Amino acid sequence: MSEATSAFSNQRAVNIGFGVLIVLLYVFLMAPLVMIVGASFTNGLLIEFPPQGLSLRWYVEFFDRQDLVDGLLLSLRIGAVTAIVTMTVAMMAAMAGQVISGRLSGWFQLGMTLPLLVPELLTAVGLLFFLYKIQLAKTVMGLQMGHILMSFPYAYVSIAAAMRQVPASLEEASASMGATGWQTFRLVILPLVMPGLAMGGIFAFINSFDLYTISLLLKPLGGNTLPLALFDFLTYEFKPTAAAAATLSILLSILGVALVQKLVGLQRAF
Amino acid sequence: MATVEVRDLRKRYQDFLALDGVSLKAESGQLVTLLGPSGCGKSTTLRCLAGFLEANGGDITVDGESILSTPANRRGFGVVFQNYALFPHMTVAENIGYGLKLQKLPKSEIETRVKDVMQLVRLGGLGDRLPREISGGQQQRVALARALVLKPKLLLLDEPLANLDARLRDEVRWLIRDLQQQSGITAFYVTHDQSEAMAMSDMVAVMKQGRVAQFATPREIYQKPVERYVADFTGEANFIACSSVMSVGEARYAVTAAGASLEVAGVPEITGSAELLLRPEALELTAPAAGTFQGTVTKSAFLGAALHCEIALADGSILKLTAEPNHQVETGEEVGIAIDHSHTWLMPEVAP
Repeated sequence: MSEATSAFSNQRAVNIGFGVLIVLLYVFLMAPLVMIVGASFTNGLLIEFPPQGLSLRWYVEFFDRQDLVDGLLLSLRIGAVTAIVTMTVAMMAAMAGQVISGRLSGWFQLGMTLPLLVPELLTAVGLLFFLYKIQLAKTVMGLQMGHILMSFPYAYVSIAAAMRQVPASLEEASASMGATGWQTFRLVILPLVMPGLAMGGIFAFINSFDLYTISLLLKPLGGNTLPLALFDFLTYEFKPTAAAAATLSILLSILGVALVQKLVGLQRAF
Repeated sequence: MATVEVRDLRKRYQDFLALDGVSLKAESGQLVTLLGPSGCGKSTTLRCLAGFLEANGGDITVDGESILSTPANRRGFGVVFQNYALFPHMTVAENIGYGLKLQKLPKSEIETRVKDVMQLVRLGGLGDRLPREISGGQQQRVALARALVLKPKLLLLDEPLANLDARLRDEVRWLIRDLQQQSGITAFYVTHDQSEAMAMSDMVAVMKQGRVAQFATPREIYQKPVERYVADFTGEANFIACSSVMSVGEARYAVTAAGASLEVAGVPEITGSAELLLRPEALELTAPAAGTFQGTVTKSAFLGAALHCEIALADGSILKLTAEPNHQVETGEEVGIAIDHSHTWLMPEVAP
């Protein structure tokens, strides 16, 4: 009896221990976000937490700064194109990956995620040389290519995971009922991988929005992405405008995730 | 509806010969079962028929015309999969109507035909459910309905009952057989379960290592197997090695088995050594002196409908026997065994 009780209280202690660990983990993950969001609403002149008074003046300031707004617009545009292109290409790659079997399959997966394994700086330098060769260095197109390359693995991993949940027999069943390859894709595969596809697009977009190193090397003449513009800004002025920009970025990510949740449901994405 | 012939079909994977010259024929309206253990090539044969796999040699003809160059989606065959392969994002009615919708039929016609076939497989009222919301047996009936609604030339069933429990298996088995006979669709049915094969089929192909070991009616493969492998796979069997084999007429032989001299029917033209096949139900317990064989009871088990015994003969071979359930036997008892001569069968030790 006493043994059973002590086993029970041990279990309780373990549960409480885990609970505390999880809370600490959340604090660790959330603290920077809370700080930066809080700091953006300050009425003072410095980035500080807790904020001095409440105001939206730094948001107004952000939208008044042409360099930051230009950066935001370029980042949004590049992010959107990156999401669309990586979703399309990663979808095709994931379908190819399904057909490849045996030892080759492992190499294929590795190849698709290679940009994650090579340091970003090296990829950026290599790509810069390549872009000079094809006359695209220092253009928006070149930067766009870099972002697609760096974001592709995120889209691929998400879409390939969704694709693995679709058994080959569904495609065979569809064919046996007279469907062409395209009809099977549109009516069976696409609806089933849609959550993973949307999630892959969001990952690619957020990753692109956040890229710094590669943007620094490949940026077009006279153009800046938001992270570059913010870094330039912070070099000379340590004003809460940067916190406002960061808060806007966070808001954008949350909006994206909410959109997927609304359209296809997040539970189904994982 | 359609006569289907498979001729010398071959399929090779890198270093594995999956099909080594498979030949079969299904007459119009017949249900042909491909029976064998896993890896014998039965599913590979079916997948070649469906068009999911490309054969490396041989031919498949439907009503005399080769279909090998026709892709799966233009063969017009219905396929029922072991895992059902229902589309999880479509309702039962949408799953069944999928093929009709692809044919761009008017909505009202699709609705009527889906409703009719759902009535046929007893799925009435479940049209709006998703596959995950219905039971395994119901899912299998949706899969069946989905294939039948397109009025296929040929129905291909790949172990359709393997994932069902025993009670449902019986129910769906009869449903499949009834529907197949009513509609007169030629069908190929893959299974590793011999009782399923025996109960449902017009013809059975027992497969072994990428070849057809025997292609015959259920009665023939059970009573007149061409080799031990077939006899073993189609049910309980006793084999007694024969010491002398003399031909005494067409497919009749005089043999000496476990000390007894018998005249038995068998596979034609046996030369060399042979074995006698005795099914447990062809044997009967008698008084020691009255039997063809004498032996000692080593095991007995009461199974309700029957009594299973194992009897050791003088030469060391063991006979399994099914006796009438009220028969009293003791382990260690001396008994005689009478043979129903119409059920004995002599086979060569290796197939000719």
